[in-house]
Amino acid sequence: MTKKPNPSEMFKERLKAARDLRKWSQSDLAGRAEMPPSSIAHFEAGSRKPSFDTLRRLANALEVTTDYLLGRVDDPGLAEAGDPLYRDVGKLTGRDREIAKDFLEMLAKKAETKRK
Amino acid sequence: MTKSQNHAYRLKMAKQNAEAFLRDEGITTLPVDPFAIAASRGIEVKAKPGTAEGVSGMLLRHGDLFGILYATYIPSEGFQRFSIGHELGHYFLEGHIDHILPEDGAHESHAGFVSADPYELEADQFAAGLLMPSIPFKRALARQNPGLEIVESLANLCRTSLTATAIRYAELTDDAVAIIISTGPVIDFCFLSETIKSLPQLTWLRKGSPVPRDTATAQLNANPARVANSDRADADIDIMDWLGGTRSARATEEVIGLGRYGKTLTVLTCPSVQDETYQEEDGEDEEGLAERWTPRFRR
Repeated sequence: MTKKPNPSEMFKERLKAARDLRKWSQSDLAGRAEMPPSSIAHFEAGSRKPSFDTLRRLANALEVTTDYLLGRVDDPGLAEAGDPLYRDVGKLTGRDREIAKDFLEMLAKKAETKRK
Repeated sequence: MTKSQNHAYRLKMAKQNAEAFLRDEGITTLPVDPFAIAASRGIEVKAKPGTAEGVSGMLLRHGDLFGILYATYIPSEGFQRFSIGHELGHYFLEGHIDHILPEDGAHESHAGFVSADPYELEADQFAAGLLMPSIPFKRALARQNPGLEIVESLANLCRTSLTATAIRYAELTDDAVAIIISTGPVIDFCFLSETIKSLPQLTWLRKGSPVPRDTATAQLNANPARVANSDRADADIDIMDWLGGTRSARATEEVIGLGRYGKTLTVLTCPSVQDETYQEEDGEDEEGLAERWTPRFRR
């Protein structure tokens, strides 16, 4: 059974794909994302892993979703439904899970308002 | 680099990343506001209902939007701010996307140096560096006398918990201090400053070691009501009473109950033990210095 690639492995492929889609050089993207061109080179080579903050900055600059850069959706414009950033949601107690769900619904509403 | 060296390096880098972030953002004064930092990235921050125990915090995502939920069941502003700082660590530190996103293992945020998970420890270190950056923290340290008073004063300045502040104090001070957190008769953990480590053949107080008998800490810990009431006590001691070793030195033991936590914080200060690195330089006579710095010309 092949092991599913982890998010940062998917990210390096998707970052390059999104940059190619926009027909930008690494320097072009670096300028738009306000980071050094060497950072883009490191991310695409996989020698550096992104933070969530970097992920968002790059997604905004490229006008794609963070879900696309993480390999969770194949369409650059589509986002997956919200998920708690827990690798095993079952670990949360019932009460924590309820609280997280309510909070995610609030974030979803906020995202909807932003789109309008 | 061995695995443990790599781990220590990553922890150090996590703290330095937080300090670099503050510099980049132009944040130079204390207290640092984690709510404002979250807001600067459009991260929604919300308190969990007061009665809800469970995890100390969560970082959540919906598409491109992020949020932080933090626990308030421990009614300590310092603990809550630290929990938010910890979640910001998960957000800002490189590589945490592999740790936190679903599908490859278990993740829970329990901020406050209670988890052995390296990613959680990194997030704790980020929170410590973010809320107690070394330059302003050291500047504030230099203006005060060593001991519990410094910890309380800096906790007040940084709006951090006594525990987190005491650990940072031991890390950054030139004084000879030991910080011990204990519950009843048992030690939870102990941090030694670099200077106090110069005492020969110290006994390392590991997690689970007994609190030395007949100390002010042992007496306070034996009375849960006093611990819950945040009572305090102090005593003049010999450092060997606590840390063993082969060199006797006068020291002060100060202990305070940490309220409903059921734990106590002990600060040992040993003013007679100095940082000998600097002492050697200070002790150098002026004549010798003048001699070494006088330029010589061939005749």
